[in-house]
Amino acid sequence: MEDKTYLSIAYLGMIFALAIWTWTIVSRSRNMEQRILAMEESLDIKPSNADSIAEINATNEE
Amino acid sequence: MRVKVGELILALGFLGLMLTLYLAFLWAPSVNINAFESPEAQRIFYWHVPAAWAAFIAFAVLFVGSALWFFKRSPLGWKLHIAGSEAGLACGLMAVWSGCVWGAAEWGTPWDWEDWRLNSFGLLTLLALFLVLGRQSQPDGVESRDTFSTFGLYGFVLVPLTYVATRIWVIRHPGPVIGGDEDSSISGDMALVLLIGALSFTTLIIGHILTSIEITKFEQRMDRLQKKLDGE
Repeated sequence: MEDKTYLSIAYLGMIFALAIWTWTIVSRSRNMEQRILAMEESLDIKPSNADSIAEINATNEE
Repeated sequence: MRVKVGELILALGFLGLMLTLYLAFLWAPSVNINAFESPEAQRIFYWHVPAAWAAFIAFAVLFVGSALWFFKRSPLGWKLHIAGSEAGLACGLMAVWSGCVWGAAEWGTPWDWEDWRLNSFGLLTLLALFLVLGRQSQPDGVESRDTFSTFGLYGFVLVPLTYVATRIWVIRHPGPVIGGDEDSSISGDMALVLLIGALSFTTLIIGHILTSIEITKFEQRMDRLQKKLDGE
């Protein structure tokens, strides 16, 4: 195989992998946000970004 | 749906990478054909070096996040730990894969088990893989966070070791092209493409870290909702 063809395939593979990876995290973030908003609305719960593990740990240490 | 800052930065970084590819292929000057076995394969350098650079940034974020969680129990620290390990894995794999492609063309073998730089960087990437898979397979708790943070802290030792490896133990991996000895230099056009690549990978990784922090926040909100539903 010619050098440039070999390189093109390698480069395309990498940019394709990065595109999939980028798309996966963006769509994961959007899906989760939609689901959480719907759940919080239906359960009438105020949104909270607190880390429950850190909170439990802080309570245990007191 | 509104577009978030992290997603915008991610898109910007990705566009920068496309530009880097275009410039690397069609604009950057060719190297001396007598200096390499496979001169065209050298163009992978514009991808490989920025990917490795971005991986080092991600591992630094992982280290800071691990330290913040381990010593201060900081929720932000844990989010940085997760973002750093995921971004480190992605960029580490990019650097390893592109290095293997170049090695196969130039050396005739994709990997050299005797080369320090290759093996220490490979170990770093494996550490990131362990942290990402480990977090997914273990229940979230103080003990599991402490364990993974310890790996994040000790694993960072490999970063300076990997950085100096080509200066101390020159085996097969080429030495540094910037900041090395007086023989290490590249032409202005090559340096420009390399700079665009490094900036693009850095932008991409910042976008990833911001988006990953957002995802971790969502996971924690989800966990809280689940507990509420379970009546805890």
